[in-house]
Amino acid sequence: MSFDPKRRQALEALALLAGLVAAPGEAHGEPRPSPPRARARSRPSRRTAPIVVQVRRPGVRDSSTGRVDPTRLDEMLTLAVTRATSRKTPVAAFRRLFRRSDVVGIKVGTLAGRGLSPHPELVAKLTQWLEQAGVKAGNIVIWDRTDQELRAAGYTLQKDRQKVRCFGTNQDYVWSPREWGAGGSCFPRLLLGELTALINVAVLKDHDLAGISAGLKNWYGAIHNPNKYHGDGCNPYIARLAAYPLIKSKLRLTVIDGLVAQCHAGPARSPRWAWPYDGVLVSTDPVAIDAVAWQVIEARRKQVGLKSLAAEGREPKWIAAAARLGLGEARIDHIRRVEL
Amino acid sequence: MTDTGHSRRAALTALAGGTAAFCCPQLAAAQDAIQGAPIDSGPRTGLSSQRARWWKAVGQGKIECQLCPHQCRVANRERGSCGVRENVGGDYVALSYARPCAIHLDPIEKKPFYHVLPGKTALSVGLPGCNLQCKFCQNWEIAQVRPEQVQTFARSADEIVKLARRRGAPTIAATYSEPVVWSEYVYDVGAAAKRAKLRMLMVTNGFIQSRPMLDLLGVLSAVKVDLKAYTDKFYQNQCGGKLQPVLDTLRLLARKKVWTEIVVLVIPGLNDSEQETRSLARFVKKDLGASVPVHFTRFHPSYRLQNVPSTPVRTLTRVRRIALDEGLQFVYVGNVPGHPGNHTYCPGCGKVLIRRVGMVTVKNTLSGGKCSNCKRAIPGVWS
Repeated sequence: MSFDPKRRQALEALALLAGLVAAPGEAHGEPRPSPPRARARSRPSRRTAPIVVQVRRPGVRDSSTGRVDPTRLDEMLTLAVTRATSRKTPVAAFRRLFRRSDVVGIKVGTLAGRGLSPHPELVAKLTQWLEQAGVKAGNIVIWDRTDQELRAAGYTLQKDRQKVRCFGTNQDYVWSPREWGAGGSCFPRLLLGELTALINVAVLKDHDLAGISAGLKNWYGAIHNPNKYHGDGCNPYIARLAAYPLIKSKLRLTVIDGLVAQCHAGPARSPRWAWPYDGVLVSTDPVAIDAVAWQVIEARRKQVGLKSLAAEGREPKWIAAAARLGLGEARIDHIRRVEL
Repeated sequence: MTDTGHSRRAALTALAGGTAAFCCPQLAAAQDAIQGAPIDSGPRTGLSSQRARWWKAVGQGKIECQLCPHQCRVANRERGSCGVRENVGGDYVALSYARPCAIHLDPIEKKPFYHVLPGKTALSVGLPGCNLQCKFCQNWEIAQVRPEQVQTFARSADEIVKLARRRGAPTIAATYSEPVVWSEYVYDVGAAAKRAKLRMLMVTNGFIQSRPMLDLLGVLSAVKVDLKAYTDKFYQNQCGGKLQPVLDTLRLLARKKVWTEIVVLVIPGLNDSEQETRSLARFVKKDLGASVPVHFTRFHPSYRLQNVPSTPVRTLTRVRRIALDEGLQFVYVGNVPGHPGNHTYCPGCGKVLIRRVGMVTVKNTLSGGKCSNCKRAIPGVWS
């Protein structure tokens, strides 16, 4: 059976619409989270607006030990994924997003090392749901650019094809550059030849050149020469790379691990500017989630007395550029921002 | 496109020596592709922790690289545009220092230097990385990568010099990728070469700031500069750089009287117009001198520029003629073995002084750096 992402998106939109009409809020028999603090903003285009779900639970991560409360994280992710996809359970959501035959790549962004990388516990939860949705363990790959960065972020490398794999792709590019609009790069053999679907698991942080580094910027880890595309605030490079069909057509879900976020001095970890945001963001719209991430970073910057990114000349213009390329919605007032 | 992966890459990594061997079978035996154990040292496997030169801290943990005109502002854990210099906690590290990925014994004509010790060899050393991103890069598999993406070997400056002596090479060339981005190593090898009475050569794009270039000139005997084109538009669109800094470097080399040769890769439709060639030739004559050799070389599709055909030989003949008409004295055609533009002619009497076939000098009639016919002095490094 052929897979048409556009058709799928249309069907998803229909499903979402039906869900909203039939039973707004956390209905559908889903256990209601306690206490629900949903406050979806009222917008004229609410029914069709892309959803970005933010779930925050203070204390989910012990800031002194770095330990994550698995029960609380499970609840947060469950809420976020189900609301973002309008499904009753995360497994149902993943059945909707992925075929059993998919080879699913979970692209994590581990450049900043432990403390400002997606938590392995969060990624483990996603792999669990994928398996429960029928995807074979051997068809799930957690990947980033290098083994070293994955290890430093707390991941255990695994190349056994019978298990959920985890490795860096830096040593296995297909050495034939491909043009992706604003640049040309070699892509990992894994992404080119094996993966059929992608989950983007990024972090919520400042970036000294791009403004912020959230979902879309994470794709820089998929090319062999990211250092060549940091000029002009990474605009339009981030957007054009994300629009490359190899990524665009496979991407199903973006998850931002904001248990710890950082509002300045990124992309490396800076304890001074990191704060316990204690949240996760989830969306099927890769642009909308970055637009919301930008808002979160800006709010924190204001709170701690920093200038806005625009005032510093680091406004992430590539978010709007991505929207212009049809990747999603960048206008914050056209996004359903659901805070739970 | 068929994926040939690493085997193709390895083959291309060895391209310099391989080409030499192909063009000149007798050189095959001399070709010295050094095998060494992979390195496992430094902050990460295979990377050097050598402190870089030519940078300054600019606050908030950021670094401003002062090596090339990009002048990258590099945050902690980030690298400059070259991909080989990283801010590691406020210190700037030359990750590829003393980690060559290619070492070969080449004919010096391959660099190409046509006025430096013709017929001799150059121990040619390349490290990963480049500060430009030319779409037509001929060595992109080592130049357009980060150092951890290519196999490298640990070779100190002294080891390189010893190797050159052992192989009887009177020169060492920093070449293949872009030596500017590994200038610390160029300098150290050059200093060691100078002590050993060998000559250090640099094959560069010239996209470098004046301070580091001046420092390097203390150890360099000759420089070959790739002048990619004579329009800023070309530099911006095709190379991710700017023309002016390259012209500034060329002027600096002329001012310091360092032997310099220029290569222009002629790409159909992009930098082969009569007007551009005339402008380029006039610049060379006026600002550098009519005796600076200019090599117009043939382009073949490569890297990201696959949709442009190879340069017709007639185009090369034409641009050479234009440059000669503008008054340049030594204008060559490269990458076309057998072309009359391979030879060195006396600008006085027109006699063929050095006859070449491609990269091989087959006859050299220079006598004490002078034309054997009219006794005119021919500029170059001849002994």
